[in-house]
Amino acid sequence: MNFWDKLGTLDRRWIYLLVALSVIFPLIVPMSFKISITPEARQLFEAVDALPDSSVVMLTFDYYPSTVAETEPMATAALHHLFRKDCKVVTMTTIPLGGPSMAERVTRTIARKYNKVYGTDFVNLGYKANWVAVLKGMGTSIEAIYPADNSGAPLSELPLMATVKNYHDVSFIFVVADNDIVQNWVSIVNAQYGTPIGAGVTAVGAPKYYAFVGSGQLTGLLGGMKGAAEYELLADARGLAEKGMGMQSLAHLVIILMVIVGNIAFFAGRWSQKGKVR
Amino acid sequence: MLKHLKIRFLLTLLLTLVADYQLASAQTSDDIFRVDRINALITFVLFSIAILLYIKWAKEGKPLFIRKIAGLDAVEEAVGRATEMGKPVLFIPGIQEIDDIETIAGISILGRVAKITAQYDTPLVVPVRYPMVLAAGQEVVEQAYIEMGKRDSYNRDIVRYVAGEQFAFTATVNGMMMRDRPAANIYMGAFFAESLLLAETGNAAGSIQIAGTARPEQLPFFIAACDYTLMGEELYAASAYLSHEPLMLGGLKGQDLMKVLIVALIIIGVVLVTFGFGDAFRNLFKAV
Amino acid sequence: MRTIVPVIVAFLAGFVMIISFFFNPERTFFGRIESEVLVWVTIVGGFTLLLGVVSITRVNWHAVRIKKEGWVYNLLTLLSIFVMAIPAILPASWSQLFGDAEGSIYDWLFFHVDYPMMATMFAMLAFYIASAAYRAFRARNPEATLLLVTATLVMLWRIPMGEAFLIQVGDTLLFGYNLPESINTYIMNGANLAVQRGILIGAALGAASMSLRIMLGIERTYMGKG
Repeated sequence: MNFWDKLGTLDRRWIYLLVALSVIFPLIVPMSFKISITPEARQLFEAVDALPDSSVVMLTFDYYPSTVAETEPMATAALHHLFRKDCKVVTMTTIPLGGPSMAERVTRTIARKYNKVYGTDFVNLGYKANWVAVLKGMGTSIEAIYPADNSGAPLSELPLMATVKNYHDVSFIFVVADNDIVQNWVSIVNAQYGTPIGAGVTAVGAPKYYAFVGSGQLTGLLGGMKGAAEYELLADARGLAEKGMGMQSLAHLVIILMVIVGNIAFFAGRWSQKGKVR
Repeated sequence: MLKHLKIRFLLTLLLTLVADYQLASAQTSDDIFRVDRINALITFVLFSIAILLYIKWAKEGKPLFIRKIAGLDAVEEAVGRATEMGKPVLFIPGIQEIDDIETIAGISILGRVAKITAQYDTPLVVPVRYPMVLAAGQEVVEQAYIEMGKRDSYNRDIVRYVAGEQFAFTATVNGMMMRDRPAANIYMGAFFAESLLLAETGNAAGSIQIAGTARPEQLPFFIAACDYTLMGEELYAASAYLSHEPLMLGGLKGQDLMKVLIVALIIIGVVLVTFGFGDAFRNLFKAV
Repeated sequence: MRTIVPVIVAFLAGFVMIISFFFNPERTFFGRIESEVLVWVTIVGGFTLLLGVVSITRVNWHAVRIKKEGWVYNLLTLLSIFVMAIPAILPASWSQLFGDAEGSIYDWLFFHVDYPMMATMFAMLAFYIASAAYRAFRARNPEATLLLVTATLVMLWRIPMGEAFLIQVGDTLLFGYNLPESINTYIMNGANLAVQRGILIGAALGAASMSLRIMLGIERTYMGKG
């Protein structure tokens, strides 16, 4: 095996080491970059910004703890934006594993900064099994699906829910998700009830949803940590996503470098084989 | 006769589309029937007719052409490799519950693969994430072994419940791959973030890998890490492709006819929109 | 009976939901069925979660009882389930440690054990994608070259310094052409959008066909019948 063949079949642990270093380095030497805004992120921000103050917005915490690095900054930035505009926020989740807990913790932490009152300014509906039934059922009556909120308080006792009976009383739905649920929000809710929906999704899922933005079924899209950083910048709620861009940038550069090295090794190996044959 | 039927089918479609547009604009909240959803009803009826028609023709013995799907042709080759090496075949029917249509497709393919492994006496390992999938998987594999006359080779532990949480499942399966070094890994069903974790570990273990999922966001990872990948509806076609049963093939062809119709409608729409007459045509397909 | 009854139930369930979609819920019983059934499904869904817990407990307990290989991990699984579930189910009025509010055992275990473990597993993807990219993104043929070039451009586009690099390349080599905007327009909103739509339409048709086959009893493999 010559040098190029060895380089082409490099032990993957060297690659893991390089990626690890690229992620650790910005923690030691903080880096900041100018973040440009994509048209899709701007569309989402402007749609939310154009809502009249005191509009009711449904914010969904449809993500698992595994993707918090990408999705939680989106939810956080959205809450800052909504509370600053005096919007009423109804949170819910279709994720049984920790969804209600994350929604509770994130929403209450940010609500405290804006002196928002639970029950009047925001409500956490929590989780109910079978998301198809939940998404469809809320079109008729939210109370039929959620008789009580996440802490067990009957919806009839919460002042905010007296005016929010179904999707017709919701001005916008901001879905933060790491799975296919966005597609179901669009096909079940937007298609059948006409409520505008914007989405913040993981970078892996974002390419799929460009089709929905293009057809007008989604009003804006945030993709991955970059999307979260864009919304943080637009909503003036700088946080973890912006700080994470340094790590993401170096990691991407390492991967691109490895791809270039791999191709050099591939072609050089081929040429040296051809040379030997001649 | 076939051409005559197809012409009638298309003419019916055109007339109903025109009627649909006129009716849809007349919906009031007092109506019993949701006329604003008539486009969905027509689509459903046409789709059902297409599938039932092709199933009927398939039963009558009409040959139905299906193009080669390399990934499915490779299944038997992969099982053969496993038999030669004396190593097991690892099959994962996705990580979703039994009510997910991709899981049903995966279980269906498992039945076919189990018949091949039963035939060659190749060890089969099927880790699952949910108890209901465990039950369905065990039934399907047992049935396959019985049909191949290998009842004695069947073992309940072929299909095993591993873990309920996504990454706990992935970590366990990765461990199984690195210890047991299966010769072939077949991933058929719904996968999420763990797709790359599984496929990359399988690659490190030296297995031949065939994957199929209808999740477009996971396809790039499978394409990068697996030897063969079934994309989107090829997963749903797999069961029909492997079994060659007329009923299944008929369903597949019926769905293809709908796709041809959709392509034709897209082309018509593009032409109409380009020349400024698209609004009326677009309203025919408005979702309500 | 074991075959006929599930097929009949599957047919009726699907048929009723389809029919009710086309009737006005304000005027007809058929239209109201849909919302009624959806409430029932939510309730049944809750019970299937319970069923899942019972099944998990049974499977793991069996492994512990017969001391199957790796039974310690099965025991750990059982302990984890009950240590988290029991305090969460007990009324919060008995103690601040019960229930699932902030400060409870459930909340602490979730945020200090589950949350970081899940995030760590997902973070491993970064390493795996690097090794997969190193191996797979080779210009072996025209398709692989296209994959390689597109992936590299999109990876650069998604990071600020990569975007700055692309703008610089556009300014110096391409007479001021805005490369990042072109990537967004022609790759993400062009080729990617078209392909995603195609796959989505195909997958949706496949799923609809499979659903129809299940309703009509043609597809029965989910019941264990071939």
